[in-house]
Amino acid sequence: MIETILNNLALILGTTLMYSTPLIYTSLGGVLSENSGVINIGLEGMMVIGAFIGAAIGYYVGNPWIAFIGAGIAGGLFGLLHAFACVTFGANQVVSGIAINFLGAGIALFLSRMFFEGATMTKSIPLDNKMPRPLNGVFPDGSFLNIIFDNQYATVYLAFFMVLLIWFFMYKTKYGLRLRSVGEHPTAADTLGINVMRIRYFAVIMSGVFAGFGGAAMSLAIVSNFRPTLISGHGFIALAAMIFGKWKPQGALLACLLFGGAQGLAVFLGQFDFEISSQLISMLPYVITIVVLIGFVGKSAAPSADGIPYEKESKY
Amino acid sequence: MKLTLKELRKKLYIFATEKTIGFTLISIFLGLVVGAIFLAAAGFNPFQAYGIILRGIFSKPSYISYTIVRATPLILTGLSIAFAFKTGLFNIGAEGQYIIGAVVATAAGYFLHLPLLIHIPVVIISAVLAAGIWGGLAGYFKAKFGVHEVISTIMLNWIALYFQNFLIYTKGFQKPGGETSHSIQPTANMMILKTWKQSEAGREWLLQHPFWKDLLRTPMNWGFLIAVLMAVLVWFILNKTALGYRLRAVGFNKFAAEYGGINVNKNMIISMFIAGGLAGLAGALQVVGVSHKVTLIAAMEGYGFDGIAVALIANSSALGCILAGLLFGALKYGGAKIQPFMQAPSEVINIVIGSIVFFIAIPKLIKVILTRKNKKGGIK
Amino acid sequence: MFKRIITFFVLVLFVMSIFSCGQVKKESGIKIAMVTDVGGINDQSFNQSAWEGLKRAEKEFALSVSYLESTQDADYAPHMETLLDAGNNLIWGIGFKMGDTIKEKALGNPDQKYAIIDYAYGEETPANVVGVVFKEQEPSFLVGYIAGKMTTTNKVGFVGGMKFPLIEKFEYGFKAGVKLANPDAEVLAQYADSFTDAAKGKAIANQMYENGADIVYHAAGGVGDGVIEAAKEQDKFAIGVDRDQNSLAPEHVITSAMKRVDNAIFNVAALLVKGEFPGGTTVVYGLKEGGVGIAPTSYKLVPADILEEVEELKAKVISGEIVVPSTPDTFAEWTM
Repeated sequence: MIETILNNLALILGTTLMYSTPLIYTSLGGVLSENSGVINIGLEGMMVIGAFIGAAIGYYVGNPWIAFIGAGIAGGLFGLLHAFACVTFGANQVVSGIAINFLGAGIALFLSRMFFEGATMTKSIPLDNKMPRPLNGVFPDGSFLNIIFDNQYATVYLAFFMVLLIWFFMYKTKYGLRLRSVGEHPTAADTLGINVMRIRYFAVIMSGVFAGFGGAAMSLAIVSNFRPTLISGHGFIALAAMIFGKWKPQGALLACLLFGGAQGLAVFLGQFDFEISSQLISMLPYVITIVVLIGFVGKSAAPSADGIPYEKESKY
Repeated sequence: MKLTLKELRKKLYIFATEKTIGFTLISIFLGLVVGAIFLAAAGFNPFQAYGIILRGIFSKPSYISYTIVRATPLILTGLSIAFAFKTGLFNIGAEGQYIIGAVVATAAGYFLHLPLLIHIPVVIISAVLAAGIWGGLAGYFKAKFGVHEVISTIMLNWIALYFQNFLIYTKGFQKPGGETSHSIQPTANMMILKTWKQSEAGREWLLQHPFWKDLLRTPMNWGFLIAVLMAVLVWFILNKTALGYRLRAVGFNKFAAEYGGINVNKNMIISMFIAGGLAGLAGALQVVGVSHKVTLIAAMEGYGFDGIAVALIANSSALGCILAGLLFGALKYGGAKIQPFMQAPSEVINIVIGSIVFFIAIPKLIKVILTRKNKKGGIK
Repeated sequence: MFKRIITFFVLVLFVMSIFSCGQVKKESGIKIAMVTDVGGINDQSFNQSAWEGLKRAEKEFALSVSYLESTQDADYAPHMETLLDAGNNLIWGIGFKMGDTIKEKALGNPDQKYAIIDYAYGEETPANVVGVVFKEQEPSFLVGYIAGKMTTTNKVGFVGGMKFPLIEKFEYGFKAGVKLANPDAEVLAQYADSFTDAAKGKAIANQMYENGADIVYHAAGGVGDGVIEAAKEQDKFAIGVDRDQNSLAPEHVITSAMKRVDNAIFNVAALLVKGEFPGGTTVVYGLKEGGVGIAPTSYKLVPADILEEVEELKAKVISGEIVVPSTPDTFAEWTM
């Protein structure tokens, strides 16, 4: 009896980790961009391109880390595009982000057709060429820890490390302080000699890199191939998680874990033949998120210059 | 009427910078150029592709009609998002509000038995109210608990999707052995001449009259007119009423509005209620005018997300949403045709749309390009 | 003034476009076109299979073929009209979702031939329409039998996309096969309420494997990618659907329940070319007609003796000795 409960708990925890990993990377991207004052609603499109590039390089090169980095670079290029529009040309950031969502999906499929004989689904990567699973076979078969960690990929642990890294960067380094000051009071930062443009460029490009990682965490770990529907709404969920987490890396992490956990619960409950509709169970993660927000989280406030283009007087 | 290059540039510059519509048109043009580059890179003749799209939209009355039908829900979801923007809120939830509108309209259209002229208004009003409440919920969460509307509306989208599926699975609503709901009663139908079109006599007559057959084969309905009316109404509310003034004041500066004695929370809820109602109207009109039922959905259909692009192309202007919706509907409808006629991959259309939206985002880039030319041309 | 400039731009574009469009239509041959459902042409499932069938027909009979992709349910009707105006001899709707649309269009255009996959109008089939349905329960039955024989834990799993009659045919056919092979075996069945969420598919499959299942069959589109991935990681078995999915995990996808939409499309094209278009009828593709079957790669992982038994079973289904259940009711009768 107790063993069954523990096993199921372990399954839910395992699902939680798997589900939340791509969201964690992507919402970290959101955190970086928005703390510098640039809204990034294009995370979804950046994830799509990252997922595709990751799967494509993974298939052709066979090294998951090169693929993962490639996915980050691809996402970063879209970040550059976003930065180009938002930072240099003071674009409406929401508009540019929406454009990136269309472009990311369009270009990923377009490239897929060119590199995979006209198909929009990439070929599957063998297990050995996927991300490594560091704790595979470490714990005894069937044990609590084994069920949770046996098949978790390096991307999962790396995601947690990245949260720590971004947290450290943002709150313990002077560059992080600059980043946040640019997001809060760009004019003041500017007078102090901080290069607002450069910092925003950096943050937005990095947000693309992380969203690209998020996409690759799907296509190189959770599955082993890209298909057009692989990323469907994840970028928006990550965006919501970032806001949920009050624009902080640690908060975003918790929000992603909550969401993943709720999915784990939905999968767990789905196995029983309840009288209630499985539709209602599938609804759970979204309901839980709202309930938690209402009950426990309360007000959230964006960085005060979030979404406002910054320009020096008479630039053009 | 001689026109030198110099003057042309100057005119273009003024056109692009001083008139929103001029700038939008130039963005569309540039977006098409980017699409053309991609098409050419893939080995397709872009002129041929755009020719197919243009002819696919304009060469027959029925194509124009289809474009309008395609655009109608986009105009309304666009309006919904534009309205929320004007009041300082970002309504990503139009998708879910659309779903609620559609499913409630279907339920009211199927379960209620009412006389012809009463049924349609009842269906539409109940759908709009339900979707309004769905949208208002996000406003309420924000006003009462400080929940950011972007999160709550994203979550509400998915909840709406599963809710629609849940309702379709309900006994009595599900068409037996099918994956759709029952169709609405004929009294709730708003498609022009639907019953007659599908009757024996109607088919016979249409076969003999090709012009009418072509025109009537589309699900022509009054939805577009309603959408246009709504755009005018939204414009009127926002610009000519005290409510609109308060809403815009909240959108412009929450704190100042509060200081000025405006109840910010109440206005946020009202704003999201109206935005939700508009998106719900899109769903309701789609049901009474086109589909007459709802189907199990496994993924978002995109009416709400496309509506974001529409609102943005329209620069959140209510009347602009009509044009932007038509443009978007036309690109989606006409753009799909490049596949069967020249085997060009349809994702190029996404690239075109993305590029147009991208150029819309950066008015300054266009200004800069034109200014530089102007400098060379000696203006300034 | 600017209006003139813009008008000029538009005119140039317009004129050039019109001039460059002369050669759109091919000169000779029969034209067949299809409208995909919202899954799109690369769904790794019936839309893609249909297109492959059309392309095969194109080569074989020198046809001219094309397709139109739908992104929303509202696209079906306009796409049908577009293909009608393009002068196609036969227009396919791929997927049951187009059932009502095809019927309406067929009645309005009695001279145009239509056909649809996964939809039967029965008695009411218009004279210019062919409905094509598959007995998905039959290949599911065979793979269920293989699963029942190969399971060492007496537990197997089924992951469905969304619960509606078409997908239930897979479920109950599979369950019947498992029960026949191994009356003691238990079938865990769960629906993902999605055709796209691969992570959810993986989580469900993980759960099934952890609960003792060693073979999981999926009928869930993109969700199935996750199921197969879970099999790979846990070194368990999975069974693919619609197409031969062995290439996704060559050592873990033991077989696939194939639905040969391509064959159906090809056959109807052949009949059309011969002038024998079977309008007004519903064509049923089961094992007997070669419209469904198990994947040719099954021999790689399934022992030969089991495959022999499957062949015998197949013969019985073809002869009508076994009628495979496809609904909860027929399955309940079958197990009694």
